[in-house]
Amino acid sequence: MRAYATLIGQFIRASVQQELAYRANFLISLMHSLLNAATGVLGVAVLFGQVETVRGWDLGATLAVLGVYLTVGALRDLVISPSLDALAGMDGEVWTGRLDFTLLRPVDIQFLASVRHWRPFALVDLVIGIGVLVAAAARLDAAPGPGDLGAFLVAFGAGLLALYAVLLAFIGLTFWSPGFLFSWVFSGLFQMARYPVGLYPGWMRLALTWVVPVGIITTVPAQALAGDVGPGLLAGSVIAAVGLFAGATALFRAGLRRYASASS
Amino acid sequence: MPEPQITVSHLTKTYRVPQREPGLRAAVRSLVHREYRDVEAVRDISFAITAGEVVGFIGPNGAGKTTTLKMLAGLLHPTGGDARVAGHVPWQRRPDYLRRISMVMGNKSQMMWDIPPLDTFLVLREIYRVPAAEFQQTLDELVALLDMSDLLTKPVRNLSLGERMKCEMVAALLHRPAVLFLDEPTLGLDVSIQRRLRRFIAEYNRRSGATVILTSHYMADVAELCPRVILIHHGVLLYDGPLGGLVERLAPFKLIRLTLDGARDEALPDGLEVIEQENGRLVLRAARRDTPALTARLLSTLPVIDLAVEDPPVDAVIDQIYQEGSV
Amino acid sequence: MNHRGGWALIRRTWASWMQYRGFFFLLAFGWMIPPLVYLFVWSTAAGGATVGGFSRGEFVAYYLVLILVNQLTYAQTNWIVGDVIRGGGMSQWLLYPLAPAYHVLSSELAGKVVYMIFVVPVTAVLAITLKPELHASLADVLAFVPALIFAWMLRFLWGYWLALLAFWSTRADALLAVQDALVFLLAGQVAPVALLPGVLGRAAEMLPFRYMVGFPVEVLTGQVSGTELATGFACQLGWLAVALGLTWILWRRGVRHYAAVGG
Repeated sequence: MRAYATLIGQFIRASVQQELAYRANFLISLMHSLLNAATGVLGVAVLFGQVETVRGWDLGATLAVLGVYLTVGALRDLVISPSLDALAGMDGEVWTGRLDFTLLRPVDIQFLASVRHWRPFALVDLVIGIGVLVAAAARLDAAPGPGDLGAFLVAFGAGLLALYAVLLAFIGLTFWSPGFLFSWVFSGLFQMARYPVGLYPGWMRLALTWVVPVGIITTVPAQALAGDVGPGLLAGSVIAAVGLFAGATALFRAGLRRYASASS
Repeated sequence: MPEPQITVSHLTKTYRVPQREPGLRAAVRSLVHREYRDVEAVRDISFAITAGEVVGFIGPNGAGKTTTLKMLAGLLHPTGGDARVAGHVPWQRRPDYLRRISMVMGNKSQMMWDIPPLDTFLVLREIYRVPAAEFQQTLDELVALLDMSDLLTKPVRNLSLGERMKCEMVAALLHRPAVLFLDEPTLGLDVSIQRRLRRFIAEYNRRSGATVILTSHYMADVAELCPRVILIHHGVLLYDGPLGGLVERLAPFKLIRLTLDGARDEALPDGLEVIEQENGRLVLRAARRDTPALTARLLSTLPVIDLAVEDPPVDAVIDQIYQEGSV
Repeated sequence: MNHRGGWALIRRTWASWMQYRGFFFLLAFGWMIPPLVYLFVWSTAAGGATVGGFSRGEFVAYYLVLILVNQLTYAQTNWIVGDVIRGGGMSQWLLYPLAPAYHVLSSELAGKVVYMIFVVPVTAVLAITLKPELHASLADVLAFVPALIFAWMLRFLWGYWLALLAFWSTRADALLAVQDALVFLLAGQVAPVALLPGVLGRAAEMLPFRYMVGFPVEVLTGQVSGTELATGFACQLGWLAVALGLTWILWRRGVRHYAAVGG
């Protein structure tokens, strides 16, 4: 266990150095992050300036969904995305064959592929996201009690696991179709997670449960924070997330075997 | 005879490659019915290598050398046959096994691009769990051998190809592997770096006793480094033995280069074939066993200013094998 | 003006982009999602009644038109301009006996055609499924065409002068990203400009962003007429003049700077 922790520490160190090598304009990136969050918040504010509730969702609860969206997105941009995306696309490891080097390491491939690259700047987005969550919690009808917070953490963890699973599954698909822009497709669909799943028409909700499990990733945690989630829904969320994770892992490993038997 | 470190028996690798005719109709048809073609990349190869040997795999492009190497490194699963390297089955990819091997690929880099090589080395140290003291010692030794101390702190993208290859070598050897696979390590490098790397590999092998398996298209690499070569062509192992033996078997002749003073007005002795003739220079070919006698006769009958006796160029011999497909 | 050369360039660019149409369709798909999200949110909010004067069907109509207008006015080539300047390709552009504007225009036109091949059918399917309510008079449709053209020009030029800053600084494309975010907020995507409250609403009416996307949509959906229409056009043309001026100045200065520095 400790070896894995030290390894992650090394990866973070190397990633920080790579970021610094680019001397990206911190200020403009900060402005961009703030603007994105502000757009989201204003969108919700304008909506609820016109109506009180939409299908049972009020300002506080909807803002909570946005907060979860921003926070989960930040965590994705912090490590999951930078690491997994290194495998995909035209200059990714699968297409160029550099995956060979990763396969030679005496460390589990899935672990390596998932935590290898970090983008420290996403910490700013994380802070902003948590800020929105706190603001949302303050606007709720009933302030969240310890039970609500506990349920929230469980639901949030399940949501994060589900997100990781979906991204991992897309990377698994990369082994069959290396050039396809899976992550762009996903980013597009993930935009739908900004708002509660209940706001979308019925037929869409089905797609949103199975293709992009938006409900589990953002809606259920927000409901938990608002004290609106029963143990059944919470348990279902966890089970679904674990199931997705198992499926995605199987797909990923199947893809690896295919790579190992085809590449020349 | 010590127990071999690497044993390969009847190793086979066949790929299924999708077949498709050009044109729209075929494209539509292929959606429903996929046709495949079997490509036998490696066919029933067997050999054994003892620890500490330096062996060269030679063969034309697409012969199956890299495929064989990758199977031994555990990157590919064979379709048939068996192999054992350092007591492990490579494609099971046990961490213990992976810690004992290393691979350098001439056309791919494992260095992180934007940061100095030292930072990649530190990550590798952690991945392979090399103790700090041992790591430092190994690093110092390798850096000294390759004379690259000033490269450690420059971002990799600013290094030349030769300098990058030096870094690749260090990266591969930091964990002191028992077996080193080198896939075209001198690809695209200039002559002096090539020589540098060859000396390094030879010295490293001498000092550490690591087994080295090398594939290269540069005969100079193979001639200088590998007392033993394995020739693979169309997936089949054609020859396993010293390089000189290959040359002798295939080209049992010698080349005689003459520079003459003035015109040649006498016929050449029997048993000599003229390869080249220009002004006063001649290149002749003679059977190996007849060469001493023929040389003496040439010296006595012709106005010779300069004479040299050479082995046929390895490249030409190898080319001949590649063309004819057999030994 | 080298028209023949320009036209040939446009046709060639279109042909080569069609090769990669799968890629471009994916891009268009990604750009369609945000307006769709707001379409669903607002139409659900309206439910059976109205919100801010819009019924469910009117929201659907507004956003479907927005998807089309957004795609038609989005100037994706501005991202290329910065790359071309940094990568040194500008030297080659300046060598052709063809104003660099043609290169940019040809990508624009080619791109629009390719994207539309995807967006129009998808929007049509969505229209059939979601049943929009569109109240557009003939006058609205006639006013829509120039509004759309000016909107494209404005959005293009505004991004162009920002992209030209790449002559001086390597970080210019970060500003383009900021501009995209501002357009998203103030141009009628997050909500129709009429629904933006207080300060935000007034700012949106004055800033150029509404005239890049929202204004033509409002024209076609019958939201603006009479004096509002006239004022709208006036603002649009005013900002267009500003953008033209900035582009002109920056282009001349930029080329001089580029030649001096040695691209």
